[in-house]
Amino acid sequence: MLISINWLKNYIEIDDLSTDQIVEYITNAGLEVEEVTDYGKRFENMVVGFVKERKKHPNADKLSVCLVNDGEKDYNVVCGAPNVDAGQKVPFAKVGAIIPNGNFEIKKAKIRGEVSEGMICAEDELGLGEDHSGIMVLDPGLQEGTKLSKALGLDDVVMEISITPNRSEALSHYGIARDLAAILDRESKLPKIELNEEGDDINKLGSIEIENSVDCPRYSAKVVTGIKIQESPDWLKQKLIAVGSRPINNVVDVTNYILNELGQPLHAFDLKKLAGNKIVVKSAGNEIKKFTTLDSKERNLNNDDLLIWDGEKPVAIAGVMGGENSEVTETTLDVLIESAYFRPSAVRKTSKQLGLSTDASYRFERGTNPDLTLFAAERAAQLIAEVAGGKIAKGFIDAYPNKILSTKIELRHKRISLVLGFDIDKSRVESIMTNLGFTILEKSDEKLLVEVPPFRHDIEREIDLIEEVIRVYGYDNIPLFNKVSVTLDAKVNEYEFADNSRNILVGLGLNEIITNSLLNQELADEHGKSIPVLSPQSYEMSNLRTSLLTGMLQSISKNIKVKENDLALFEIGRIFTKINEELNSFEDFTEEEHLLIAITGNCQDKEWYGDARKYDFYDLKGIVNAYIKEISLDNQIIDSYYQEENLYFEYNFAKMFFEEIVGKGGKLKNSYLKNFDIKQDVFVFDFNITKLKKINKSEKSFNQLLKYPKVKRDFAVVVDKDNDSETIINVIEKNNSKLLKNVKLFDIFESDSLGKGKKSLAFELEYFDEQRTLTEEEVEKEFWNAIEAVKKEFNASLRG
Amino acid sequence: MQQKIDEIKNNFFEEIKNIKELASLEEFRIKYLSKNGLVTKLFDEFRELSKEEKPKFGQVINKVKNEVQDAFNELKTILEADNKSFENYIDLTLPGREKVVGTKHILTQTLDEMKSIFIQLGFSVHEGPELESDYNNFEALNFPDDHPARDMQDTFFVNDKFLLRTHTSPVQVRLMNEQKPPIRAIMPGKVYRNEAVSMKSYCLFHQVEGLYVDEGVTFAELKGTIVAFLKQFFGNDIKYRFRPSFFPFTEPSAEVDIWWVPEGKEGRWMEIMGCGMVDPNVLENCGIDSEKYTGYAFGMGVERTAMRKYGIDDIRHFFDNDKRFLTQF
Repeated sequence: MLISINWLKNYIEIDDLSTDQIVEYITNAGLEVEEVTDYGKRFENMVVGFVKERKKHPNADKLSVCLVNDGEKDYNVVCGAPNVDAGQKVPFAKVGAIIPNGNFEIKKAKIRGEVSEGMICAEDELGLGEDHSGIMVLDPGLQEGTKLSKALGLDDVVMEISITPNRSEALSHYGIARDLAAILDRESKLPKIELNEEGDDINKLGSIEIENSVDCPRYSAKVVTGIKIQESPDWLKQKLIAVGSRPINNVVDVTNYILNELGQPLHAFDLKKLAGNKIVVKSAGNEIKKFTTLDSKERNLNNDDLLIWDGEKPVAIAGVMGGENSEVTETTLDVLIESAYFRPSAVRKTSKQLGLSTDASYRFERGTNPDLTLFAAERAAQLIAEVAGGKIAKGFIDAYPNKILSTKIELRHKRISLVLGFDIDKSRVESIMTNLGFTILEKSDEKLLVEVPPFRHDIEREIDLIEEVIRVYGYDNIPLFNKVSVTLDAKVNEYEFADNSRNILVGLGLNEIITNSLLNQELADEHGKSIPVLSPQSYEMSNLRTSLLTGMLQSISKNIKVKENDLALFEIGRIFTKINEELNSFEDFTEEEHLLIAITGNCQDKEWYGDARKYDFYDLKGIVNAYIKEISLDNQIIDSYYQEENLYFEYNFAKMFFEEIVGKGGKLKNSYLKNFDIKQDVFVFDFNITKLKKINKSEKSFNQLLKYPKVKRDFAVVVDKDNDSETIINVIEKNNSKLLKNVKLFDIFESDSLGKGKKSLAFELEYFDEQRTLTEEEVEKEFWNAIEAVKKEFNASLRG
Repeated sequence: MQQKIDEIKNNFFEEIKNIKELASLEEFRIKYLSKNGLVTKLFDEFRELSKEEKPKFGQVINKVKNEVQDAFNELKTILEADNKSFENYIDLTLPGREKVVGTKHILTQTLDEMKSIFIQLGFSVHEGPELESDYNNFEALNFPDDHPARDMQDTFFVNDKFLLRTHTSPVQVRLMNEQKPPIRAIMPGKVYRNEAVSMKSYCLFHQVEGLYVDEGVTFAELKGTIVAFLKQFFGNDIKYRFRPSFFPFTEPSAEVDIWWVPEGKEGRWMEIMGCGMVDPNVLENCGIDSEKYTGYAFGMGVERTAMRKYGIDDIRHFFDNDKRFLTQF
């Protein structure tokens, strides 16, 4: 909302305050000033100048040299305008002024040999209009030296204030003035109304009937006849322009003026267009389905939308917008001014339903002042008569079938201290209440009984009054504690697992990413039944992800496009999957936390100490196993190498907890990567963190340090290529006692000399006992048992 | 003779301990191992021994000779290695073998910093679902149905019962329903707003919610706690202000601004968090006696704070995951 400081001054005395102070007070009152525009600054160093003399420029035909007085001294000014002449009052930009149109600074200069110390401005140069035919000639009555902004009525500062939904009473200049007055302990005053009612009796001209008094508790009206619709006078136009409202005609401008002045939305009907000169307030009901508003748009109506009718037809959508059929036009002579109070939620419902929010509906749905309707109608009648001529009809119509009562609330001093944490003087509390326009009905040492007028829709309970007390008292005046209380219960950290996982993966050299949880439907559906959101901003963000893989591959693809080809990334985030088509409860979908690891490109660049090496499956497995070990689940989780036909993996493996898969990954198929425009190998592994979190970690405990020597033996065998190393290791272990503590595969190679389809595997076996030193003989026995078993089982031959 | 051999040997090993450089080693060599050295001379003396004595000392002298020669050679090798010579020149300027440590996302880092401050102040850390019920996200938090307060946040609805949470505040509701006061916790997480993506706004961002409910929790204590946080997070001389505002679930409510001077620009107030006393309606909705208990709550955005702290000009950088961005932090 735009608030002009000049306008504000109509209702409160604030001449002694600087703009900065005003802005600070308003902000501290809970009305956040977001921006301040100083129109005076725009015309800095510009004054009303008096042209004392005009001579022809000695060296240029089209130029003249003028002597301009600014009230203190004379300046030599070269001017090119044909209409400049001695005796005129003109806008005079002195040295240092910035010309708004073109944004250039006026400097002392020589123009064709003549000194020029300023500029006489045309309308367009000041940003005030289009006219560039000559200089702007001002009212001869103006005193030379007067600031130009003041002379033009533009000496104003306009604030943009963001009003929170609870503060409907502050949606006007008077409302802001009233709050400022409470804070400053000053008075605010409503404009004075003096009505000259020369017209006919209003009851002969029209009538009001309210059928739906729940949605329309009060409807006040005034009538002005014999008016002339024309452009508004300058003062009115300037005021509206200052608050960003486009002037239309004098009657509409008056209603907009009062909306901005008092916060009461008004509507002017062309009385002659109202059938039966009658207003009826009732809901749309079954009969009316469509209605054309004054912006010429046809609107679909619901049964319970509240409408304003004349004797025959609807003429306006109550509180939202008037109808095309009854609007004020150039030929309008008589107007009926509507000033009503509509139930906030009724207007909100209609406005939402129509998808139409207006200045009027915005205020009605937040709550206007039901006590002010008649005053606003009278104020409008007075101003319309002033700017459009005509006669004000005698009397008023004020239908108020459903009286809105003020609220009575108990306010306990002890409660104030309890909520705020410090005491506020009882007398201070009382003065805050009365400054806000509340009435203290009863008071005792312990408490007050406060009556709150109906325009404060936000105040219903004691806590609402406490909020008012501290708001006006000032948040800056809250004493600053340097001690706080802490509860001594055992603390919980539900983020610990994820945090720990991040630390491990960062230690392993991976970079964390965070991707969008919303994807387009097609991608979101790839990994499960995804959940769509209603009315998304774009097709690309229409469904919740069912896997972290999509976002990961999109990130990899984007990085490759900027030549970042070598990536080791991970993300921890939630994925969402539908269980049942209809989502009625939390049982109908899952939300699970996942960890996705991805590696692609080079794991090592070409360096002085070695060649470049690409990431491969074993890098992935190394990272995954290190992670599992670090989160202390290596004893609970086992690998599964079961392969099944799928769209994504060329080959893969899984991490299992008993029968349940808790993680899965491998090498992605090139055909799948093609969808993301990725042409290099990508290895990924996906963990279900929600599941991992539930597995009990193996407790760490101390093992005695080994006191006896370890014995190592190694051998190499040649076997068929399609034997997995793990199968062979299993055979070695099975054919040895518990003295064998570890089997390590330390070499693999294939060559022609071994024979086609053969490979050589070399194993190192480690033996020891915690209780004694092993003898040579027992180790040898175990070792040869292992070799013999492998030879037999795999038809292997011992090498070397 | 034996006595002499022992003496030379003992002296040799005693003296060699003190030799720290090649020059003194050379002097030492001349003293013991040169042609006229003490050890070499032993062989001259050996030659003059009687036939009976010769076999007895032959072995002994040879053994001593070998022992001292070995000890000398070992020390010589060590001392020579100390003195870098041209042949074993090392280029110290070559880069080391690269060891890579990864990075946490800058949002995680910022969040971690916030969390650790509140953990020091005795807060637990809780989480809640991103796909929430309308009840937990709005109704329980005192957003009446059909009230303009609902317009404050553009919501991704899934249907009339479920939505993507617009703030982390529903976790408050969950906690208060599950636990009895005292409750002292922060609740970080992702939240969603149905807004067009631009430099300044994204359809999701991260928030840290805080809640403290107990007997005697006050607005002044809230202010003290927030100020303590601001000083730890932004530094002791941070300039801040609390101004009245409105949230349906707190009353009184405040917005907290900090004074921010972007590089090369004029300073201005920047909103950093919202806070207030838990509205009695919210406590009652969660079965907590609002006459007996009071509470405060606060919430702040992680992205905005990180943007401010690190001078990041476009919120989309956080979600583009460009490695050149990720590895800067």
